[in-house]
Amino acid sequence: MDIISGIIREDTFWKILLFVHFLLAVSLLAAVTLQAVAVLMPARQAAGNFVDRSPVPAASYAAVIAILYVLQALMGAWVYVKYRTYVRIPMEELRHWWTVGSFEFKEHVVTMGMGLLPAYWYFWRQPLSAEHDGVRKWVTIFLALSVWYAFIVGHVANDFRGVGS
Amino acid sequence: MTQTLDVGGRFSQLDSSHPVDATTSAAQTRASQFGTFAITFGITFPLLYTVFERLNWPLFTYQPAVGKLYFWLHRPLSGEGPPMYWYGWIVLAVASAFVVGWIATMVSGQWLRRATVFCCALAALWPAALAALRIFITDWATFDADFLNSVWVAAVPGFLGAAAITYFVPSRLAERAWTSWLLIVPIGGLVVLGYSLQQYFVR
Repeated sequence: MDIISGIIREDTFWKILLFVHFLLAVSLLAAVTLQAVAVLMPARQAAGNFVDRSPVPAASYAAVIAILYVLQALMGAWVYVKYRTYVRIPMEELRHWWTVGSFEFKEHVVTMGMGLLPAYWYFWRQPLSAEHDGVRKWVTIFLALSVWYAFIVGHVANDFRGVGS
Repeated sequence: MTQTLDVGGRFSQLDSSHPVDATTSAAQTRASQFGTFAITFGITFPLLYTVFERLNWPLFTYQPAVGKLYFWLHRPLSGEGPPMYWYGWIVLAVASAFVVGWIATMVSGQWLRRATVFCCALAALWPAALAALRIFITDWATFDADFLNSVWVAAVPGFLGAAAITYFVPSRLAERAWTSWLLIVPIGGLVVLGYSLQQYFVR
């Protein structure tokens, strides 16, 4: 940390981290949303031998989503240090209780999603097992909802005190 | 001569198929073991994370303002700033769920599904029994029933109820519902944790 503060201002360093956190969030959001849409609207069997393909190859996204989710959680855990000391205290002083509470809940939502990642990855292994169709779909939707919730709440917290606020 | 060669070829195919079968079988066993581990981990981790958060059992406490790390729960000293327990809950839950998942790969499937039903039922019934006892003490008891306000007293109906549920749930249902716990437990955990945050939303 001392080495970094010799090169750039500490404040700028945290803003860069927060921006990387945002970029990872957008990538994860796009991937997990596409996959969730694909499981909600699976390929249909059209006339003859033709199959109306799903818009995205959902299975190929699974590894990317799992890796992005872990990276994003680690990045969030790092930025969280700054949030706890620099953002949450003034948030409480200004009585933004809904924002504080929603952010606390975000920690739990993201943690629950992380615990599901090994099972999620297993269910999306090729060849896909028909036995796990239902649970694969719902685990994917759970992850998509957790990422969306985290993104929205994180964005609100950033608007309070973050990049561009 | 041709026939001899053909027969020989077939024999060699049969012989060479054994190592291939063995490799495939070993790969399938590994995949199945990983599946058991992953599903058990996915059920255990949110359950333990919820328990550790509610009991406030972090493996360590981080004090970000002074950059110090303390083992287990540490109440901040003057000038240390706010403590962070979240990392400690996660690390303890990951380590515990990893051990449970590893043990799950070594027990029979039927036993594992029964144990899952028992643990999930216990996780719901134990705190419910404690809450019921507290309501009884404050609203119903006509004698000094403070001795009932104990997690260990609540453990008795919790364990008995969980054992009864485990006994009466049919094996087929336990088998079919096993992967459903992957969604029931995290959602249940979020309901409990969300309820604990109500102080922020009702001010």
